[in-house]
Amino acid sequence: MSIFIDQKTQVLVQGITGSEGSFWTKHMIELGTQVVCGVTPGKEGQFVEGKPVYNSVKEATKHHKIEASMLFVPPKLTKDAVMEALNAGIKKIVTIADGIPLHDMVLIRQAAIEHDAFVVGGNTSGVISPKLAMMGSFPYWIERVYKKGNIGVMTRSGSLTNEVTAMIVEAGYGVSTLIGVGGDPVPGTRFAEFLPLYETDPETQAIVIIGELGGTMEEDVADAIKDGILTKPLVAFMGGRTAPKGQKMGHAGAIISGGKGSVEDKIKALTQVGALVAERPRMVGKLLEQLKVPKN
Amino acid sequence: MKLYEYQAKQVFKEAHIPIPNSLLIENESELSEALNQINLPCVIKSQVLSGGRGKAGLISFVKTKEKAISEVNRLFNHEMKIKRLLVEQAIDIKQEIYVSITVDPLLATGLLIVSAEGGIDIETLAVTQPDKIIKEPIDLRYGLMPFQASQVAYSLGFSPSITKELIKVFMNLYQVFVTYDAELVEINPLFITQNDTVVAGDGKLMIDDNSMFRQKRFEQLEADYKTEAEFDANQEGIPFIQFDGDIGLMCAGAGLTTTVYDLIHYEGGTVANYLEFGGPNYKKAVKAMEICLKVPSKVILIVTFGTIARADVMAEGIVDAIKRLKPDRPIVTCIRGTNEIEAVKMLREAGLEPLFDTEEAVRKAVALANGGIK
Repeated sequence: MSIFIDQKTQVLVQGITGSEGSFWTKHMIELGTQVVCGVTPGKEGQFVEGKPVYNSVKEATKHHKIEASMLFVPPKLTKDAVMEALNAGIKKIVTIADGIPLHDMVLIRQAAIEHDAFVVGGNTSGVISPKLAMMGSFPYWIERVYKKGNIGVMTRSGSLTNEVTAMIVEAGYGVSTLIGVGGDPVPGTRFAEFLPLYETDPETQAIVIIGELGGTMEEDVADAIKDGILTKPLVAFMGGRTAPKGQKMGHAGAIISGGKGSVEDKIKALTQVGALVAERPRMVGKLLEQLKVPKN
Repeated sequence: MKLYEYQAKQVFKEAHIPIPNSLLIENESELSEALNQINLPCVIKSQVLSGGRGKAGLISFVKTKEKAISEVNRLFNHEMKIKRLLVEQAIDIKQEIYVSITVDPLLATGLLIVSAEGGIDIETLAVTQPDKIIKEPIDLRYGLMPFQASQVAYSLGFSPSITKELIKVFMNLYQVFVTYDAELVEINPLFITQNDTVVAGDGKLMIDDNSMFRQKRFEQLEADYKTEAEFDANQEGIPFIQFDGDIGLMCAGAGLTTTVYDLIHYEGGTVANYLEFGGPNYKKAVKAMEICLKVPSKVILIVTFGTIARADVMAEGIVDAIKRLKPDRPIVTCIRGTNEIEAVKMLREAGLEPLFDTEEAVRKAVALANGGIK
């Protein structure tokens, strides 16, 4: 089992005929993802990787049962594409676009909450359950980076995620489901909102979060542990411990504001509730061992 | 993108938010004309983007023409290389208020933040007296409703005439927030004058960088950058910060670059510059190295672990950059991710010794910077 996506999840690809869309659709299918169709306005009648293309999400839903939509849509058009998927009743949406306007993201998140849907991203690699399925762009074929296992991973980063998952694999572990919430200041869905899914997933035996300075998503996770929403062991890694104060370094979301969001605050909040915080990526694997998380 | 005070105030003025009479000057000779238009006493305010200008001695209150001349001379010759001064009429202040509008990532709303305790650092106030801060969520579909502005204004307890002015300021400030895709728009302090009028004492407007494609009005000028490298990086859309350490970073991915920055400090090294050429910039290795070479550093450290930002494409760019630019300092590479085997082969053929482990690469760079390995 996995959360969010497995080999049975029926996936639509919005923007399937673009270069990124068609390239990653091919890889998604190769990994085992059930891509059933695609949407690109004006391209109805075409096929990509043998999957039919429709002019609109509404039209696509007439022909297929769709559970999730993967967006390969430019940042300027993302708000419209997300709204289209939500209005067609799709509850799981992943957008990898890097550069979505802030005010658009506020409206996207608000719409996601209202529709009781998960919008993952933007500015992310997406979601992957190794060996089963993915929505997004992960180098799943590099086995020392993406191996199936019992660690649930949530991350705000892209390249750093590959770095940390490689360390998880190096220590003898693998990943159940990895969710990239993205590096923007307003992600569609926040870390803590996925915790109930990981908590009830029998395959996930521990959680790793890859955080960053800025915002309060890591503090929210600490609150969820305190409230008993997450009882599984958790290890966190956060970049930016030595970042100069008041300097915007890293993602747009990585800025200390409102007197909150420093890495020290996050370490304090997490360690107070029994989570462990790694100083370096390599420590993540060692701390999982220290927590006696079984290797399988 | 952060605007200067004078730019923010120009926007405020256009949005019918009262600002003091003022004139911007760019050299000493423009002062006398400014003093013809702005009555003494006045305030001379350095136009720099850093905060805490008052404490840093970058704002002067002057009562006489002589004092104005000497202060303008001092500020234009300041080590911060100040290029513009705002000469502003002094205001007879009764009280100072804090007003800002930003976004709340948790609730997915805008947020109007107001406090009757203005003029001070709001972050300090948030810690010491959180009950003195009013926060009103704004549904961005409907915008700030007049009843909300009114409710917040009345709760501050001013006279009806001042309250009416405050409501107008809140509503107009929201228009600025929307029109300029603001991350933050702030008036701190907003003055209540002795005549019971309301005037913006300062102005901060930060435009969301992701919205710059639809916010073309304010383009940054070369003169606004501290170094040529900073300007070049900005023109290319490459995230870059210059420091004064030894190791030039040329990494991919914000999180990974920040982590490498941390690791260098743990290993006893120092950073010359932060540069990130991942994401949409992964084919810009030549430009990225050109920028790195403009920064004084002892070694350049390249660490990547890309997916879409393919390792082979980045390695090809790095090899090309080395051929073209003939760097005068050692380069440590650690390129991984999509097509990493091909990447390693290309780097070896170009005479580099590619590493595969981030920590090892960092240690090697620190050793080279400290003169450990030749």
